[in-house]
Amino acid sequence: MNISGDIWTWVAGLLTICIFSFLYKDNPMYKFAEHLFVGVANGYFLTFTIHRVLIPILFVPLFSAGRYWLIFALIVGLLYLTRFIPKVSWLVRIPIAVTIGYYTGAVIPATIQSDIIRQVQGTILTPDNFQAWGAGSWGTVWSILLFIGVVCTLSYFYFSREHKGVLGVSSRIGIIFIMIGFGAAFGYTVMARISLLIGRFQFVFGEWLGIIQ
Amino acid sequence: MKWLEFLTKIDRRIIYLVLALVVLMPLLFPSAQSVIPKKPVEKLFNAVDTIPEEKVLMMDCDYDPQTQPELEPMAIAILRHAFKRRIKVAVLSLYIQPLGLAKKALDDVTAEFNARAETYADSIIYGRDYVFLGWQPPPIIPILGMGLNIANVYKTDYYGNNTDTLPMMKHVRNYDDVGILVSVSSGNPPLWWIAYAQTRFGLHVSAGITAVSASDFYPYYQSGQFTGLMVGMKGAAEYEELVDTKLEIDGRRKASEAMGSLTAAHITIILFIIIGNVGYFLRRRK
Repeated sequence: MNISGDIWTWVAGLLTICIFSFLYKDNPMYKFAEHLFVGVANGYFLTFTIHRVLIPILFVPLFSAGRYWLIFALIVGLLYLTRFIPKVSWLVRIPIAVTIGYYTGAVIPATIQSDIIRQVQGTILTPDNFQAWGAGSWGTVWSILLFIGVVCTLSYFYFSREHKGVLGVSSRIGIIFIMIGFGAAFGYTVMARISLLIGRFQFVFGEWLGIIQ
Repeated sequence: MKWLEFLTKIDRRIIYLVLALVVLMPLLFPSAQSVIPKKPVEKLFNAVDTIPEEKVLMMDCDYDPQTQPELEPMAIAILRHAFKRRIKVAVLSLYIQPLGLAKKALDDVTAEFNARAETYADSIIYGRDYVFLGWQPPPIIPILGMGLNIANVYKTDYYGNNTDTLPMMKHVRNYDDVGILVSVSSGNPPLWWIAYAQTRFGLHVSAGITAVSASDFYPYYQSGQFTGLMVGMKGAAEYEELVDTKLEIDGRRKASEAMGSLTAAHITIILFIIIGNVGYFLRRRK
């Protein structure tokens, strides 16, 4: 056993115990650690934004390097604060419009290409897609299964007609695929949460208490 | 029946205690756990391994303390791989919170290599072998901007050096000089790299992700948009195994060490689910 002598390791260890104490029941130690975390995270974000964004990207170029056109960026940014002044609060629409306009232009074409066109291409039954599984002749089976799964799942979300006949059958098959998807997602979630617990135990019983070598 | 009542009303604190013991025991008394690397991890390993000499590996470290146990072993294994193969590495983060952890991973791995180095040439030197570009907001802007000129987006690195004065960056202008980007992330960044860097600039993208997001990301691997994929602590352990066996690097394998606990915890949870369901159905029959 080799207990850590580092004060910050002790702080981290004790805060971990405070958070874990919630598993028994809510208590002031948990609340203290939770509030401390929120405060530190916000302080870190704010300080970093001022020193790594506002000063080097806006204030220094604008006031020291003479790039005066940045005044427009500063004004548009400041308009966000008009939300707190009821008489001119409508001005907040300007920075919101600029932000939405930029992101809409940047996001829509890229998303259509990467999330729709490429995903549809990946679902079409082609020899290239069969081989992409790297599973020999089983690749064909997996591709057909994937194709059936996508079509049936989409049919489940078609609500303009009653789910009877062919649509009824395909939507019921779709539900099976959806349930398998949920099951897989839940299994992965369990794995993720246990991994986090293991990570904390590695810290508490390893780096802090020195029981795990 | 008393035992039936007991099955359906086990106190959650008992379950927590059992689970804690089940996770702790394999950590205290480790046993050999074989990890067999799966295809998505192997493909990522091969993609990193075959980066041409004139190109760099770009790594986006976007994990924070909440997801550190799953993702940090991935970042460390990739850095070990790159440094062993003398592949140059550019590291960045798209969020603020991961910066400290990205720096820690870089510092730990460089210290590990430099402790073994016998000459200056063997050592891993900042600016020559790797750079830490730091953070530029908001995420989409640097992703798009680096397709044209990396030094224009990251004028200074994390430590405040002018990026274009760093020896390594003199040969790295934009994505044309990047062999592959590996996004080790707990959120959506891997999808942003696909949408903005791959679609527009043809960048090869791979990802190391948390297990929670696996079912969201697998379709992108199946469609070939991700060259390779590491999922959760298990994926990290698989990459560690490849690095260990193929490159013979002996460093601490945190993810591999955790596999015993992970297996035991999964079996326990499956048993609890079965017990809960048996109790529920028996009570319904009553």
